[in-house]
Order: sequence, then C-alpha cells, then structure tokens
Amino acid sequence: MKLRIDLSSAIPVYRQIVDGLRILLVNGELGVGDQLPPVRRLALDLGVHFNTVAEAYRTLADEGWLAIERRNGARVVERSAPAKADPEAAASFRRRLRELAAEVQSRGFPRDRIARELRLVADNLERS
Amino acid sequence: MNVLAAVVILVFGFLLHMLPQLTRPGLFFAVTISPGLRESEEGRRILKRYRQILWSSTLAAIAVLLLVGAPLLAMALQAAGYVWAFLLSRQRTLRHAAAPDPILELDLDAPPERLPGGAVISLIPIGALGVLGLWASQHMDRLPARMAVHWGLQGADRWVATTRGTLLGLLAVYALTCLLLAGTAWGLLHASRRIATSGPAARSERRFRRQIALMILLAEYLVIAPAVFALLAPTARVSMIWALAFTALMVGFGVVLLRAGQGGTRTLPSPAAAPTGDHTPDHCWKWGLVYVNPADPSILVEHRFGVGYTLNLGNRWSWVAMMALLALVGSAVVFLR
Repeated sequence: MKLRIDLSSAIPVYRQIVDGLRILLVNGELGVGDQLPPVRRLALDLGVHFNTVAEAYRTLADEGWLAIERRNGARVVERSAPAKADPEAAASFRRRLRELAAEVQSRGFPRDRIARELRLVADNLERS
Repeated sequence: MNVLAAVVILVFGFLLHMLPQLTRPGLFFAVTISPGLRESEEGRRILKRYRQILWSSTLAAIAVLLLVGAPLLAMALQAAGYVWAFLLSRQRTLRHAAAPDPILELDLDAPPERLPGGAVISLIPIGALGVLGLWASQHMDRLPARMAVHWGLQGADRWVATTRGTLLGLLAVYALTCLLLAGTAWGLLHASRRIATSGPAARSERRFRRQIALMILLAEYLVIAPAVFALLAPTARVSMIWALAFTALMVGFGVVLLRAGQGGTRTLPSPAAAPTGDHTPDHCWKWGLVYVNPADPSILVEHRFGVGYTLNLGNRWSWVAMMALLALVGSAVVFLR
C-alpha cells in the first residue's frame, strides 16, 4: 500500500498526506484496525516537520477515520458515515471539481480527456 | 613502523579510490546527476582526474613518510590531496547537475525497523559496566593497586592508581563510549531518513542499515573488554587478542560496506532500481560534505560521497551528540594524563 507525495507540487505536503490517505481509506485499501506508520517515521521519510504529519493525522481523526495513539501513530477505526451531506458540502464539492477541471484544462489537458477521467471516477464510485 | 604507516596510507588510497563507486547511482561527487552521466565521456574524465590527483598525493605522502619519516605530515598530505581532488571533481560535476526526483512513494506496510536483538542488547554492556562498578566499589581491597588505562600490542603501557575516583572515571569513560555507540545504532534505525521507501531498493537499504547497526553493537561489546580485564584480570596478556578481534571487526565492517555500497545499492540487480539522488535538497549540502537542514527532522543522513552516515547539523540533537563526543574525548585525555 503506497502513499505518493510530490515534493515539487504547489499543494502542501500536509494536504497531500491527508488526500492520499483519505483515498486509501475511502477505497477500503486501509481497513478498520490497520496501523499507520508513526508520525516520527513518516516525517523522517518525507523530510518534513513532525507537526506536518501530526496535523494530517489529526485532520483525518477529526473526520472520524483514525484514532491517534500516543506511541504507535494512528489506527484506522470504524467510521459512521454522515447521514446526509449538508448543502454547503455539496456546493463546495461542485466548486472544487470545477476549479480542478479548470486548472488541468489550463495546463493543456483536452476537455474530452478531463470528461473521460471524471467518468472513470464516477464509474468506480458506482461500482464500489 | 614507517612501513606499517605506508601500508595504512596505501589502504586509505585504495578506499578513497573506491568512494565514487560506492556512492548511490544517482549521485556523483555529492551532486544529483542524471543516470547517464557516470558512463559518459565527461563522467569518465571527471573520475580519471579525481583519481590522478588522489594517487599523486598518496604517492607523495608515502615518499614523505619513507624519506623524511613524518607520518603526520604524510597523512595530512594525502588528506589535502583527497579534499582537493573531491572539490575539483565536484565543481566539474555541478555543471551537469540534475533535478532530484521529487516523487516519494512510501510503503505504508513496511514493518518497523528494530535493533538486532532489541534495545536490551545495546544496553547490556552499559549494565555490565554498572554491575562491575558496584562490585568493584564493594571490593576495593581485591582490586589491583593500579589499573591499566592504555594498551599497546605488547600489553598495558599506562596505569593509574586505583581509587574510587579513578575507578568511577574509568568506568564512566567506557559507559559513555557504549552509550554513544548504542545511540548511533538507534539513530541509524530511528532517526535517519530512508531514501528508498518501497520495492527491492527499500529492502536492500533496510538490510544495509541493519548490518551497520549490528557492527556498531559488536563494537560496543568489544569496547567494554579492556575495563573488565583492567579490574578483574590485570595480569592477563590479552591486548594482542583484543587488537586482532578489533581488526577483524573493522575488516568485516569494510567488507560489508564495500560489497553493499551506499544504502545497499550495489546489491541491486541494476542501478536503475535505486531512486535518483537521496531526496535531500542540493543547497543544504555545504561543499558536498556537510549537511545543514533545519527543516529536516533526521539526525543522521547518508553521506553523498562514499558510504556511511553523517550528522544533520541543522538538527539540535546532532549538536548534543557532538558535545557528548567531545566530552568523551576530553575526559579520556584528562584521565590518561
């Protein structure tokens, strides 16, 4: 199970850790009871401050994915999905999707390819 | 004696000759490079120039040793030649510097790394010194009137009178040495940056670190032997055996490093299997030799040239370790007077 971090990306490492782990959690690649590497180990391997990793773990803990353990890092816990997404979250999701599509389009991605990628994500979501 | 020193200088010459080959494939004279540079015409030219300067200074050092009989001057000459060769080659390599690989793929399933035999193994020699100290303080009358504190190949050649103070001093020096060695082994596994974080390169690197940690732990056990003999068997003529054991350990250490290469990269099926560079920023390396990066939590990082580890001087714990080392050397010097 791999976590991929791009050190040259404009996206902060903290955000990349949260996003990368969340994908693994949502896809079920990280299951209940799985142990994440200790904050110290992950920070050393990435060459970032311990707080960067600790903050990422805390964010996922606040979302209900992880239980933070003092010595061993963090453990994946059973998460009760929110009953219904609030309208603000749905609007934010739509806005972020549009921003992302505009960003990759400005980088030269053709529209049909972006649509294909989005469809692929949608298909995967429907299948899971 | 001069012949022995000449052999040592020759061995050092050989090791320094080998350093560029032991370095990670993505680095050349401490500069991140594209994989093709080493095998290119320019790469071969840089390497040839490095070795020419190195061997010129090594041969000059041997000549000084045999003609003038000044071993310190000879060693300084070789060291100066090496530094000059390195800096010159680095300057030429910098023209071909490549951007380090910014992508890191971390294996979340990788098992944690532990000291061979667990942390207890590294603390046993310190505990043994403590027990020895307790026993000795209760049986001062059974201790020799003087304790050996320095040995040559022919046996002990320097002593101090046995008092509670000298006993404590002797054991403290040995205990601090053991503590530093144990700390280094621990730091290697728990406070150093892993360069390869997945795949065969990561496995190779893990094996490499474990082998070094094991060698350091063996050295720790060897270190306490003189203290034991100084107090319990002062007449035993064991210095030759100890010297042989220490030499065997050093040779074993050298063989492991030569075979493995930096981070175990020489054991990989192809250099392409190793990551490009070492993920440390180029600008944090001063003259390619000193690493200063306050943003990096690592205390130990791999050397960029040759094989082994160096301290991250941007980390305050590195300074604590250096102070401890200085305290050790200082107390040993005071004690031996």
